Amino acid sequence: MTPIDFVVPFIGILVFIFWRRIQRRRAERIASNIENQTETLENESIVPIYETNWCDMPAEIKLECIGRMEIRERLSLRCAAKSERSLVDSQKVQISRGTFYRVKLKQGMYSSSTVVSLHFNKQDTFTKHFVSDYEAFELMKHILKIGIFEDLEISFSNSFTNYKESINDVGEISATNIEISGCNKETVFAILRKLKNGVESIMMTFGAYFYEDSLDEILAIPHVQNARYWHLKNLKHSWIPGFEACEVAQVAQMWIDKNSKIGSTFQASLIDVLCQTYRLFNEFVKYFDDRIVFASEKRIRIRTNNPDRHILLERGLDDVMEIYDDLQFYRMMVISAEMKESEYDDDCKTWILKMEPQYYNDDSENSFEQYDYNSSDGSSDFADDWL
Amino acid sequence: MSSTEQGTSSAAPAEPTTAPESAAAPEVPESFYYVHGKDKVVHKVSAGALQHSALIHGMISNLGYTEEQAKANPFPFENIDGDILQMVVDWCNQHKGKPTPPEDTNLPKQKEKLFDLVLAVNYLEIKELLTYCCKQVAMMVKGKSPEEIREIWMIPTDAEDEAAEKEAKKRAGKEAAGETAAAAGDAK
Repeated sequence: MTPIDFVVPFIGILVFIFWRRIQRRRAERIASNIENQTETLENESIVPIYETNWCDMPAEIKLECIGRMEIRERLSLRCAAKSERSLVDSQKVQISRGTFYRVKLKQGMYSSSTVVSLHFNKQDTFTKHFVSDYEAFELMKHILKIGIFEDLEISFSNSFTNYKESINDVGEISATNIEISGCNKETVFAILRKLKNGVESIMMTFGAYFYEDSLDEILAIPHVQNARYWHLKNLKHSWIPGFEACEVAQVAQMWIDKNSKIGSTFQASLIDVLCQTYRLFNEFVKYFDDRIVFASEKRIRIRTNNPDRHILLERGLDDVMEIYDDLQFYRMMVISAEMKESEYDDDCKTWILKMEPQYYNDDSENSFEQYDYNSSDGSSDFADDWL
Repeated sequence: MSSTEQGTSSAAPAEPTTAPESAAAPEVPESFYYVHGKDKVVHKVSAGALQHSALIHGMISNLGYTEEQAKANPFPFENIDGDILQMVVDWCNQHKGKPTPPEDTNLPKQKEKLFDLVLAVNYLEIKELLTYCCKQVAMMVKGKSPEEIREIWMIPTDAEDEAAEKEAKKRAGKEAAGETAAAAGDAK
């Protein structure tokens, strides 16, 4: 036997012992791990397993929750899945002021963007600028559908002409006070016809896309007939004698025909490009010749068919508003036949400011400045893909 | 005051206590009832606390249990987990006879637990607590994007919904075919 014959088996035995030891330690480690895991599982099984989630909620609970969400979360949820969309759309949201208007972009003279601005309360506002008319219009349609507005202002130029059909897709529009300006005739009528009952005031501005010749149609709309307050801004003296007087007279005639309630108020601003200061009053007197109770350069009072009610037309005149001014303000009201001259309201500033909030303020540039519409709270980042 | 059933309660008829609050009038002992959830653990709750739940209140009004009868017949709410029922009972006790505050910050933050609580509260018709819970659910997604909301509330995407619908239709079709085949076999 050589020493090699002796050493090789010896090394083999040592390697075998070492390998057994390693195996034993591994087995011990695995056993310990299993023990730990079993313990963890046992502990975990004590904690109840909850599997309930949003999808398990009944629709009425989901609606309760949606009712407590703010607008941007609602928009996000309706984008999360089709199944949520109809639920979100069915839940109305109270909006203290909703404004849809266009602004010119500073960078380009001809480009503009549409702004959707919603005020819910003092803390919560949602403002979003759109370059795409389509996206702006789609959001506006959605908001009009779900919103219950205290004040609603729609003010955009002709840019939505292509979508006028779509305004008809919107269900009833729920607003207490509505202001429409800069819209074309079709859009104005589509909006007015969509209004739900309960409109208290309607404010409209004539402009490039909407003319005085639409008055007959406006007066045929029941909301206009029943509104406690409505105003028309920017009437213009036309070349046709009596035309603008007819507009004011038409409103008075509608009130007479409908036996409108005491307190019904109509206001108008007139741009007197022809410098014919007394023209409207003169034409009005001619129109209601047989009904005149009293007439002066400031007031005309006429009888209605109801002996209890008169109609009073006033021109806004004070230290600031002068008789020869190009811009004239008129107010007409259904009053009690018992009302005495001493009870007339000489403070025209209050009612003029209702039409032109910035009129007595020289610093004003445009009416939108009264609201801090551009004070976006970062909400524009939300619901970008809301469509 | 809530406690699991220990067998120590003052016996009283189930009719609502309407004793006048004068110093001379004898104090009417409060009525207690017993409820249990899925875990069968019985909770002893005063009638005053249970008034928050329109469902239980309605049940009590129709019963007129004595203490012994109430003990022997705890209201079973097998569809409510024990710890959720405990939460509800605790809330009812905390707000017993008190006007509910505008906010409640003690609601669970864990979403699944909150959803279970919502379902329980809705079932038990506890209007004020349901309002808090729904507010809390709404708060969970405050400032979240559609994707984040989908993730938080595990809402399936439209594609997943469609796939599940297809799968369900396929399964229903197979089952219907199986039933037709079985019926044909029986007829033979």
